[in-house]
Order: sequence, then structure tokens, then C-alpha cells
Amino acid sequence: MRPQEGRPQAALELVVEARRLTKNYQRNQVLRGVDLTVSRGSFLVLLGPSGSGKTTLLRCIAGTERLTSGTLSIGGREVAGPTSHLAPEKRQLSMVFQDYALWPHMTAAANVAFALRRLSVGHSERRRRALEMLERVGLGHLAEQYPTRLSGGQQQRVALARALVAGMPLLLCDEPLSSLDAHLREQIRVEIATLARDSGTTVIYITHDQQEAFALADQLAVIDQGRICQSASPEEVYWHPADPFVAQFTGVTGELRGVAVGPVRERLCRVRASTAELVATVVEQPLPGTAVSLLLRPESLSICSSERTDGILYGMVKDCAFHAGAYDHVVETAEGAQLVGVRSSARAGRGANVVIAVDPAGCLAFPLSSSPEPVADLTEVAQDEAPEPLPVAPPSPPPALDRHR
Amino acid sequence: MSAARPLGRPTRLHRGLSSTAPGLLLGAVLLLTLGLPVGLFLVVAVSPRLFSQGTSWLTGAGFVGAIRGGALPGLVNSMSVSAVAACGSLAVGLALAWFTSRSTLWGRRLWPLLVWAVLLAPSYLIALGWEQLLANHGSFWEMGLRLPWLSSLFFGPVGVVFIYILKGVPFAYLATSLAMSALGGEFEDAARIHGAGRWGAWRVLLPMIAPAIWSALAVVFAETISDFGVAYTLAASSKFQLATYTLFGAVDNFPSQFPVAAAVGWLLILAVGIALVLQSRALRGRLYGSLSGRTRAPSRVSLRPFGQAAGLALVAGYFLLSLGVPALGAVAGSLLKPATRGFAIAGLTLGYYQALLHDGAPLTPLAYSAEIAAVVATLVGLVAVPVAMYLTRSQGGLASKAVDLLLLGTVALPGIVLGAGYIFVYNLPELNAIGIRLYGTTALLGMAYFAGALPTAARVLVGPVAQVDRSPVVAARVHGSGALGSIRHALVPVVSRSVLWAWILTFTGVMFELPVSQLLYPPGSPTLSVAITRALGLDFYGPGTAMSVVSVAFALLVVTTVLLLYRWLTPRGWRQVGLTR
Repeated sequence: MRPQEGRPQAALELVVEARRLTKNYQRNQVLRGVDLTVSRGSFLVLLGPSGSGKTTLLRCIAGTERLTSGTLSIGGREVAGPTSHLAPEKRQLSMVFQDYALWPHMTAAANVAFALRRLSVGHSERRRRALEMLERVGLGHLAEQYPTRLSGGQQQRVALARALVAGMPLLLCDEPLSSLDAHLREQIRVEIATLARDSGTTVIYITHDQQEAFALADQLAVIDQGRICQSASPEEVYWHPADPFVAQFTGVTGELRGVAVGPVRERLCRVRASTAELVATVVEQPLPGTAVSLLLRPESLSICSSERTDGILYGMVKDCAFHAGAYDHVVETAEGAQLVGVRSSARAGRGANVVIAVDPAGCLAFPLSSSPEPVADLTEVAQDEAPEPLPVAPPSPPPALDRHR
Repeated sequence: MSAARPLGRPTRLHRGLSSTAPGLLLGAVLLLTLGLPVGLFLVVAVSPRLFSQGTSWLTGAGFVGAIRGGALPGLVNSMSVSAVAACGSLAVGLALAWFTSRSTLWGRRLWPLLVWAVLLAPSYLIALGWEQLLANHGSFWEMGLRLPWLSSLFFGPVGVVFIYILKGVPFAYLATSLAMSALGGEFEDAARIHGAGRWGAWRVLLPMIAPAIWSALAVVFAETISDFGVAYTLAASSKFQLATYTLFGAVDNFPSQFPVAAAVGWLLILAVGIALVLQSRALRGRLYGSLSGRTRAPSRVSLRPFGQAAGLALVAGYFLLSLGVPALGAVAGSLLKPATRGFAIAGLTLGYYQALLHDGAPLTPLAYSAEIAAVVATLVGLVAVPVAMYLTRSQGGLASKAVDLLLLGTVALPGIVLGAGYIFVYNLPELNAIGIRLYGTTALLGMAYFAGALPTAARVLVGPVAQVDRSPVVAARVHGSGALGSIRHALVPVVSRSVLWAWILTFTGVMFELPVSQLLYPPGSPTLSVAITRALGLDFYGPGTAMSVVSVAFALLVVTTVLLLYRWLTPRGWRQVGLTR
């Protein structure tokens, strides 16, 4: 995968616009000035760890929580502001909940039909449309079953049908897959993506699972401590994360400390990390001598032959596991960093010395916040910042890759 | 080489005995203390000759006699009063539950504590407190505040229903508040997001707490129809007969009419049974697992000043009527000199309290009841844990089902029927002939208290015991504790708080217990409840109310001391069990 440009936002009609949203629970500030725009028909995924404020943000959009300050518009209409709060039932949206939230005393069909009451359609028409929607999610034969008789996956399909049946322009999804078994997640994820996109609904979907987020998103917003850290296309977020948190949360395999040497070209910088010299991707070119943190994406690392001398790290294999047709290695580098998930089609045994090639696209450099000023003596800084090197000998002759378990 | 049998592996016979023996022992205890007295007493209704109470081996004459002898109006009164009280208590209890669990009402942590205070307060003390204020020559009358219309209204069916509604609210509250708090906020959110307004959302949610509503109705109905306290005091002095008082009269009058009493007992049990069966049918298939699953805590409705005022008026008003006014009645009665005209400091006296403390004799019933209550509560606490363990660990077995059914049935058994069963069975010449002479002794009274309290205590403990069944105990064994050590380290800490509350419930319940006490107190040794009701029945308002006030203060002192001791003496970790963040 290589960096791609996201779709131009201005070309798309705005559906949801949040400006400086804050939400306090007594003294605890959960949202701290969130700015967010979501275009019509797009699939926005809010990705963040537990406690980052993503559920609160979703509930503020739904109207089940009141904002402390800021304004929120849906479809050009202000639904929440300093003095206004539109009730959830008047916001023209629907929602899929983490724990389904199906009403247990209603059948699957009645649960789905309930969402059509707001359209003022007759009972028989509601039922017809509910059954049709249940057919679309593959549950037509279970329409008269009560939720307690359905499996987790079936319940979530009913919840999805309920959310889509009324054709509301905005669909909110509150970690809808997190209560499901692993084998069901993929299946329901595809159904959500397909059905939502087929119906042209705008979706705001929250999750803490980065794989799920990248698989679904047109637009990805990473949230932490009540702030949106970055909102862009998934590709942009992955290859050009705005800050170390975004990089960390979207998947890194290891971290090194180093010192910026100088620019290679736009967004690329040469970095010295103890014994190695690597080319890294940067958001802004750091001044030479700036101490940096190097975050390594798993795809950027591969075990290579010892003949290569540029853009490599030396390391020793600590562990190896067979996974999805190849081998994931845990490697401790000469710089003392531990790299997890270094893939190779061949197995390197424990204790083997290896050479790891580092692709600049997945080697992300961020200035260390603790030492913002450039340092004159690069060698000294590199030694100070870098952990104690391990007694790893350069691999000569080439490492014997063990192809047998 | 022959295969060696693992050491200690139980044989089939051993396994059979080990699983059956506790059940048999428990069955024997329950049979002697519950099954036999109540069962034989009820049999006498249809076969009086079996116990030399008549000439027929099989007859319905007891029922006919009961109906002709005036039991029918009592039963009709009891059923109608109970039905109205159930609806009234539900309305108040539901509102109370909503305000405390779903709104930002001020003092919402205090109100549930007061609910427990009303629950523990005996119905006859609440009734007598009101009587003290409203009776002719009562405290209001003595203070010059004469409200004849209110008195005539109170001393009749309206007053009886009113007291039963006050007394039933805690049952309705406890039955519904749990369901209301457990009803995750996402159900309401889902309804509102998908188009229902605030009230529309409640139309969706109400069926979800219907099981709790039906439970509340059934429990209040059963508790009200089984009550003897109000029937013996307010209803009796208002000439408004209730079924439990009819039964009491049939046993207490001379000569005793056991077949008639047993017939009334049957009818009472039938009425309670019908309520519980209807509840069970209403609940069938409607216990929604999702209500107790991984649900988000519901958000509280932020009350504006008017809502706060309305909520506080309702909640504080209820506690004022159920606790404040009776307490005021008792305190006023105990402080006012006789024939006081108008309220003046000169009309107040501490003479009744001084007489109590100086003489000491009037406090003998208090000491006697407290002593029995402490012993019975301790025994119940000790026995209820293994009973609860037995019920949770041998679910599905025939013996455990029988024990479970017997305990469940006894929870709903009117105390007056239990007392009548004891008086009948342990007074049988056949028992005296084989050397069992318990009639008229403290031991028999204690046995009856024990039998009445054990089922409730066991039910209270089933939940906590089920929590440690079994992994924590097994984990303790696996990590080196012996059988006793695993109980000490894994079971006791988890159930200790519940055992403490079972002890407190039993202690206060036994101390103020009326129906069994009234029928079984040893001659010359009246219990506290008997002494209080007798003093007030004989118009000794001052001494009677002073004794009530001192007794309630004493009970509160004991409960507070026990709770403080638990706090001081137990490790901190024990008190963390069951707490949430």
C-alpha cells in the first residue's frame, strides 16, 4: 500500500459539522473542542482507545447527551448549540448499538417496524417494509422470533435492519462488532459496509479496532483524550500520521530513538540511530541534530540478505511464530529496540542474527517533545538517546534461515 | 500390573450418600419446624377426627363453619384491601424507584436507606403511631386539635388500606427499583433515536419492566393478606375484620376451633398461592436476560426546580407519613400528660420513661424478646448459609427442588398460620405422651421464630453464595487451602455482608414479631410485641408508647452497633465485595 490523496472535501455536500464541541461530566472534560466535518454519503470511522471520548461524541451527535459548549449541525440545521438541544427523535438519524439494544418484548419484525413509526406509514406497510429489510439482512425466516432466541450475529443484523429500514440520512454505529465473536465480525462488517453504501447513508462509526477502521472508512478520524488528532483518508492517516499517537494507534511494530541528519527530499529525512542510518518519512523536516523517535510500520520491515548496507538494522531473533502462511519474528535490534511481527517467508531460528531492511514509507520520524532544540554534536546525542546496544555481531556470513520448524 | 484406583475416589454409594445426606438432614429440619406443624394443622380442616377435633374422618364442615361463622367477610375484606393496597403501593413504589434510580433527585442515596427503615418497621407500630394521633383522646385530641371526620375516616377500611399502602411501598420499591436500574440506558436511547419521544420511549420500556411490576403486585398482595399486625390493631379496633384476625380468634377463643382456623388458613394460603401463580404465569418467558447483561448505566433525568420540588414532595411526603407521623404519634403519646388541653410545655412529662427505667419490670419483655431475637438470628445466620449453598449446588435434584419449593412456600406462609400450626401440633396429647412437652415454652417460641425466619434468610443468601459457587472456592483449594481454609478465605469474605444483613433482618423481625408471639408466648412471659399491643389495647397510652419508643431506639442501637462492629472488625477487603466503581 502506498500513500494516496483523499477525495477533495469541498466537492462533497456537508452533512455533519461539529465546531469546538466540549462535554464535561462534572469536573471531567471528556470532549475538548472537537472540530469535525462529515460529507454526505461518506463513511467516517472514529478510531480511538477506551476513554478517548468517541462514544460521548457519538452520543452528542445522537442527542442523547447535551453539549457543554460548541455547535453541532446536521444537514445544515443546528441541532445543538449554546442554548439549543434538539431531541434525538427529531434529528433524522438511526443507530446501531454495541449491545444491540433490541427490545426483548418485541419480535425481530416489530423491532424493525418500530423505526418506521416516525414516517407515519400504516401498520401493514410498516410490517411489509420491516420484513423486506429483514430479508435483505438474511433474517426473513426469523422475523417472528424474539431477540432472546437469536444469536449475537442475528441480533446485530436485526439492529442493522432497524437502523436502515427508515432510510434516515445519517447512521451512527457504536462499536457494533465488539460484542461479536471473531468469526462473525468480518461477516457483519461486510454487511454493514455493503448495506450502508448501497443505501447512500452517511455513516459515523466508532471503534477501537484499527483493522476494522481501515477496512470500513472513507474518512478516518483518530480521537484521543477528547480531541481529534487527525481526520483524513485512511491512506493519509496510515502513511502520514499527524503525530506519534496516531502512528502508534494505527499500528507500529517497534520504536527507535535517533537524530535527524538532514533532508533527503520532501517528507523524507535521513536519521542516524546508533549504528544504523535510515531514511524516514516526516510530517515536517526537522532541523539537523534534532532528536527524533522512529516508529516502524510492520509492512516496512523485512529480513534481507547481509549484502545490503543501506537502510538496514541488525538484530537477533528472540522468537518466531507461524502466522497466515509466513513467519512473524520478534527481533531485538543492535540499538536495543524490540521489533514485533517482522515477517518473512522463511523461518529464522531463535538466536539467529538477521539483517532487517527498512522501507522509508513505513519508517516514521517525529521530533522528541523532550528535546525540541537541535543538538550540535550528533554522535553524542545518538549515544545519549539510544538505549544501551546489545552485543549483536553484524551478520557475516549471511544468516542461515531455517526453513524447517 | 493391576490398575490402582485413585486414592479418595468416591464410590457410587459414597457419592449418592454425600449428595443426599445434607438434603435429608435439611429436609428433616424443615419437616420438624415447618412441614409437620403447618401440614398437620391444615389437615385438621378436612379430617378433624384424626386429631380428636371432631367426629368426621373426612369433611368440609370446617370450611362451612368458617364461612357461616363470619370468615367470609374477613376473607373478602382481606382480598379487597390487599388488592387496593397492591395497586397503591405499586404506584408510590414505582414513582419512588424512578426518582431514586433514574433522576437527579436530591438525597437519592438517603431515600433507599429510609425504605429499609419502613421495611423493618412492624406494621402494627406504624398503625399504632397513627392511632395515637387520631384516636379520640389521642395526642391530637389532647392537644386540642380535634378532627372527627379524619378519625372516623381513619378508623375504618380507608385507614387500613392507607397503612397497608404505606407498608407495601418498600416491597414494591425493592421489586421495581432493581429492574429500573438494570434497564440499560441504550433501550431508551434506541427508542428515542428511532423516533419515539420521551413518553413514547417509556411506552416501549414499560413492558420490559412488566415482570417487576407483576412481582411487586403479587408480593404486596401476599404480604398484605398475610399481615396480622394491622388486622390485630387498627382493623380490630375499627371493627373491620380481616382474615388473619378471624383465624387468630378461632384459635385464641375458648374453646379453640381448630378446624375453622385451619379452614381459614387454607383459604389464606389459597389466596396467596393464586397471587403467586398469577405472577408466575405473567412472568413466564418474560425474564429478559438482556436486562442484566452488558448494559450501559441509564442516564439520569436532570430535574429542574419544579421537578425537584414535586419529587421531593412525593418522596419526603411518603416517608413523613410512613415513619414521621407514626414516630410523632408514639413520641407524643409517650410525652403528653393525660387530659392535657392544648399544646404546652407544662403538658409534657418524662414520667412514663422514668417509670420504665425506674421500675425495670416493663422492660422485661424488651430484654426477653431481644435475647430470643439474638439467639434466633445467630442460629438462622449459621443455618441459612449451608441451606443457600445446598440450594445453589444441587439445583435440579428432586430433594433440592422439594427443599426449594418448601422454602419458597414458607416465605409466603402467613405468620398466623405458622403460629396456629405450632399451637395445634405441639399441644397434641400424642406428643406429650412421647415426652415432647414444648407447648408454652420459650424453646417452642424460638423454634417457630426460627422456622419463620429461615426461608427469607436463605433466599437472601442464595445470590451471594451463588457468586462463590464454585470457582473462588476451587481456586483456594487449588492454591493450597484445605476444605475449611477455602471456606474461610473464599466463601466467608463474600457472604459475610449478606449474613450480617440476614442477621439484622431476622433480629429486628423476631424482636417485633406479633402473630407467632401472640399465640405462643409462654404464660407470664409476654414478648415485646405482646406487651406493647396489650398496653395500648388497655388504653395505657403513655406506658405503651414509651415502651415502643424505647424498643425502637434499642433496636436501632443494636443494628448500628452491629454494623459498626462489622466495619471495625472485618478486613477492608471484605467490605469491597459487591461494590462497583
